[in-house]
Amino acid sequence: MRRLLAGSAVLVLPGCEGIQSALAPKGADASLIAQVSWVVFIGAGLIFALVLGLTLYALLAPQARSSWTASHGFIIGGGIVFPVVTLTALLVYGLSLTGSVGRSTEVPAVRIEVTGEQFWWRVRYQEHGGKAAVDAANELHIPVGQPVELTLRSADVIHSFWVPNLAGKLDMIPGQQNVLSIKASAPGTYRGQCAEYCGIQHAQMAFYVVAHPPEAFERWLAERREPAAEPLADLVKRGRDLFVAVGCGACHTVRGIDASGKIGPDLTHVGSRRSIGAGMWPNNAGTLAAWIASSQHLKPGNKMPSFNVLSGTELRAVATYLESLK
Amino acid sequence: MTAWPAIVTLPVLLGLGGCGEADTPIAQRVVGGDGTAGRAVVMRVGCGACHEIPGILGAHGIVGPSLRHFARRSMIGGVVANQPGMLVRWVREAPALAPDTAMPSMPITENEARDVAAYLYTLR
Amino acid sequence: MRPAVYPPKELPNVSPRPAGELEALERIWRAPRGIHFLTVVNNNYIGVFYIATALLFFILAGILAMIMRTQLAVPNNNLISPSLYNQLFTMHGTIMMFLFAVPAVEAASVYLLPNMQAARDLPFPRLSAFAFWAYLIGGTVFFCSLFVGLAPDGGWFMYPPLTSFKFSPADNADFWLLGIGFIEISAIAGAIEIIVGVLRTRAPGQGLDKLPVYSWAMLVFAGMIIFAFPAIIIATYLLELERAFQWPFFISEQGGNPLLWQHLFWFFGHPEVYIIFLPAAGMVSMILPAMVQAPLVGYRLVVLAVVGTGFLSFGLWVHHMFATGIPRLSLSFFSAASMAVAIPSGIQVFAWIATIASGKLRLHTPALFILGFLFIFTLGGLTGVMVALVPFDFQVHDTYFVVAHFHYVLIGGMVFPLFAAFYYWIPTASKRPLSERLGRWVFWLMFLGVNVTFFPMHITGLMGMPRRVYTYPEFLNWGSLNLISTVGAYMVAAGVLIFLIDLVRNFRFTSTDDAGNVWNSGTLEWLPAGTYQTRSMPYVTSREPLWDQKGLAEDVEAGRWYLPGAQTGGREALVTSPIEARPQYILQIPGPGWPHVLGAVFTAAFFLLLTVKLVIPALVCGVLAVVFVLLWMWDTDPEPKPDVEIGGGLTLPTYMSGPSSHSWWAMVVLMLVAGTSFACLVFSYLFLWTTRPEQFPPPGITVPELGWPAICALMYVASAGLVVIAGRQLRTVPRSGVGSWRLQLLLLSGAPLLVCAGLVDLYSQWGAGLRPAASSYGATVYAVMAFQIFFIATVTIMALFTLAKSLVGRINGIRRATFDNTMLFWLYTAGQGIVGLALTHLFPRLIGAGP
Repeated sequence: MRRLLAGSAVLVLPGCEGIQSALAPKGADASLIAQVSWVVFIGAGLIFALVLGLTLYALLAPQARSSWTASHGFIIGGGIVFPVVTLTALLVYGLSLTGSVGRSTEVPAVRIEVTGEQFWWRVRYQEHGGKAAVDAANELHIPVGQPVELTLRSADVIHSFWVPNLAGKLDMIPGQQNVLSIKASAPGTYRGQCAEYCGIQHAQMAFYVVAHPPEAFERWLAERREPAAEPLADLVKRGRDLFVAVGCGACHTVRGIDASGKIGPDLTHVGSRRSIGAGMWPNNAGTLAAWIASSQHLKPGNKMPSFNVLSGTELRAVATYLESLK
Repeated sequence: MTAWPAIVTLPVLLGLGGCGEADTPIAQRVVGGDGTAGRAVVMRVGCGACHEIPGILGAHGIVGPSLRHFARRSMIGGVVANQPGMLVRWVREAPALAPDTAMPSMPITENEARDVAAYLYTLR
Repeated sequence: MRPAVYPPKELPNVSPRPAGELEALERIWRAPRGIHFLTVVNNNYIGVFYIATALLFFILAGILAMIMRTQLAVPNNNLISPSLYNQLFTMHGTIMMFLFAVPAVEAASVYLLPNMQAARDLPFPRLSAFAFWAYLIGGTVFFCSLFVGLAPDGGWFMYPPLTSFKFSPADNADFWLLGIGFIEISAIAGAIEIIVGVLRTRAPGQGLDKLPVYSWAMLVFAGMIIFAFPAIIIATYLLELERAFQWPFFISEQGGNPLLWQHLFWFFGHPEVYIIFLPAAGMVSMILPAMVQAPLVGYRLVVLAVVGTGFLSFGLWVHHMFATGIPRLSLSFFSAASMAVAIPSGIQVFAWIATIASGKLRLHTPALFILGFLFIFTLGGLTGVMVALVPFDFQVHDTYFVVAHFHYVLIGGMVFPLFAAFYYWIPTASKRPLSERLGRWVFWLMFLGVNVTFFPMHITGLMGMPRRVYTYPEFLNWGSLNLISTVGAYMVAAGVLIFLIDLVRNFRFTSTDDAGNVWNSGTLEWLPAGTYQTRSMPYVTSREPLWDQKGLAEDVEAGRWYLPGAQTGGREALVTSPIEARPQYILQIPGPGWPHVLGAVFTAAFFLLLTVKLVIPALVCGVLAVVFVLLWMWDTDPEPKPDVEIGGGLTLPTYMSGPSSHSWWAMVVLMLVAGTSFACLVFSYLFLWTTRPEQFPPPGITVPELGWPAICALMYVASAGLVVIAGRQLRTVPRSGVGSWRLQLLLLSGAPLLVCAGLVDLYSQWGAGLRPAASSYGATVYAVMAFQIFFIATVTIMALFTLAKSLVGRINGIRRATFDNTMLFWLYTAGQGIVGLALTHLFPRLIGAGP
């Protein structure tokens, strides 16, 4: 029995340290909500035990003993007085927190605009302190311990922005702007996922949030402001030329070369991201090649066509070029 | 640790085809290669984006050849003989062996390449 | 003739009864044979078919769930394609909610209510049959859309813009709208039937204080349908207009707002949960006393709780929208309301515990399912309180935590009581009861299975798994929990399979020769009965008459109570007063017939053909549907017969019109549905105005001159006046001979006025340059006008129908129910027209947009 209990704890615990879990709060809101959660879990557990106990008592105790439960007073006490008292307390507790969750009175250190698109995330670090805005995709970098203001929008259907380790979710609704303030309390990489069903690839619309110490964040952001690195190796140069020649620039932007499409994700620093396909695959030359050649097979219904016009070397060249865009 | 999570995941693993190397012929034994570790590398790197790999769910790529029965293949990529030494090089540096291949160099270490090769020889 | 003594001091009729009385009763109520069996209308038959069909959809939707659970058993699975998975979860939710849960509880009441109230049948048996056939055909075709890959794939709440023409151009979403259309028809038909049935066809003396809790629950259920379903009717109407004609209601670039759909959908969708739960809770309050052999403790509190749930459930729809970014103040209000609704459920739970304590619970299968229900439903209720807590909901909304929550509530709150009901009531419809031995297997497999499936999902959700994902990566460690859920799902499936085996082995349908009162229950459905229900109608002095009134069953069966035969020579029911259930008149009810069946077939065909865009065949079927419905209506409103004595000197009329007649009540209920629908349309207009005031009207569009609405309003008033005069005129028309030419002339002149009013309004808006597809303002104005024109067309058909009946002498000063119904609907339509004019012409001026 002890083995079994320990086993089930093991079963649950790995997720508690998960990178996409409300049970492992790493942000101000998530911590607050986790605290609320434990209060209601324990409270509900006690109430459930009480109801179950009373039912068993009514069922099993001799009628003479349990007759007090067969009365109107019992129903009024258990069905009206008790819930009114506990629910009022819970409501007051809940409302006292509702105001602060998702908002901040502090001046945000960074403002980031996140736009949900079928089925990826467009990210723009707003201009700040006279420095230009930066476009990116499917990955958010934030400073630890500082309030970050996210402006959430949608370009097509309803999505929902959710990073369980950091905060609760907020919908992205066409024609509407929602603002969510988040604050990470520990450096690390967290995963988020679209939480409102948005079409065929809703399941594959994830992203990463990387929380850096503030100075590291500023450094990171400064690097992202730079245009794409100039290729050195022959294969990489060939990849860049093919990227332009094949017409990738119609949809994608790579700052510094002739590619300024706005339909798909900005690829200026794509090589530095943790994933491709919005959290679907790890990011390396191999998976990039797979994505270019068979994106409709890997993620049917996304907007990028599968490119099957490249030779083996050409495909490898383009993939290697993209991987080099750190 | 207890057996409980293992029991739960056992049927899954069984369904996936094992990683056991006991029945790997001597000619395909990779010195210093650990098939189980290799499987983890394959999953971490995302080989499944290009290849179908029996036993790894979600590995159903169509860009490269299927790795079904890989251990029984005589050639790697139709270019070099399917021998442990070649395979360890191939999984890390395919373009060095076949300049026209679409398969890029993969971000793995020499030791990881051995593990991957050992894993691939379990695909009988 | 004896002097009438009511309430009766002694048995009103003597036995032995005259020879042939029982045989005549049997003959009159006998179901037709052969192919004509399809025309059967009696509640014993239609109720059972209806339940069987609902059960079929339960199994089909369950199979879809099993496929999904198999796909999710392991991470990165590609057993099925994303597109199929999305169709599966959409169909699973839609079928479970719309083709199983609502029809199942409605079906059960079609079967049970007349039994519990010792009524011969429901007041409108053909309406129930019509609703059943439309549901069976529509539901089946809807399901089959899966086999051609055209099943809806937008999730069961179908949020636009995903489901609008831009992002879902294929027919899939239209099939959803179609499926919902059928359920709207059958739900509203059922609500009318149930309200009139509960309030007007009861056993004498079965006053509101003695009404079975189940009847109360069904009354509240029907009331909720009347106020909740119009929201979904309007939502589907607007979405179909947007999909078919690009009228922008939900498209933000053109002034629409996707949240309008969410408000309308959840204004329906949340009460919907209680629409499903209340009848099931009513069943529990009936079954538990029988299992304990003691009356329900706290009857009044429970009834109060049922009614209270009905009201409160309309105040919490926004708790499905906490994460949409709506203002915090309204979050607080809806959070409070969502918690408050837990109180009535608490009252019921404690009343049931108190009832268990008041006797000795016999642990038969129905009792097991009720204990299982208490366990599962309480857990679901507690997680319900959690998600009402706004900050908590921000995390768990749209995750597997919520999936776990609502499955606990719906399976606990509806499926378990329904299975208790199957085991409990099947002896009233079968020659033998179901097996107790198999029943235990069914219970334990389902009970353990449900917990094994859904309890882990709470954790999966907290660990970050969103709902509606066709797969998930391995490294998030959701695999083991999902595998456990899948194992649980197979346990539930095994339980349901054993239940089906039990049905096959033991269920032998009968309406005359049932297993009898096997549980020694106290309520009227356990009286000996035939197809005609009870031989005679007892005067009831208790909530559990079979326990408290000695010899009741024997007296009823011997015909010693009221109405022991078929006094009018045809099918009939006793109509009683709504409060005290005092006998008022004999209602002659229609028997089997083809028109309502064919009406349902062609209604279904019309919608189906329209969905696949075969417009001409659809129109042909639409016309045929109207023709058959009119043919069915032609036989209603039968000729008054001489008054009859039902026993104890009580002599009752056999015809009634005016405000105390059942048909007037039904029409009032229908008008409430129409009025609520129109109110939802007005809400939609105002909601879009609040989100985009500068678009009302959009720049460059002027509101038509005031003269136009004035003329239209005058025409509405004039036409209403004409029909009122016609009603007065009708009083003087004698009982025989062809109808009055004055009446006919008034009808003929009044209807065109309505038509003109509708068309002139349309002309004025079109002339002012307003186009429906150009802006959300135009779209809503035209939606209001189109809605009104539909009503005008209906009134016109009703007027012509009334005229035809008058021409053949079927309408006169006494026999005037057809005219009265037409008049009521006519007056309503004129009123709705005037409100519509005020909205579309005066309101824009009020907000300063006038010329």
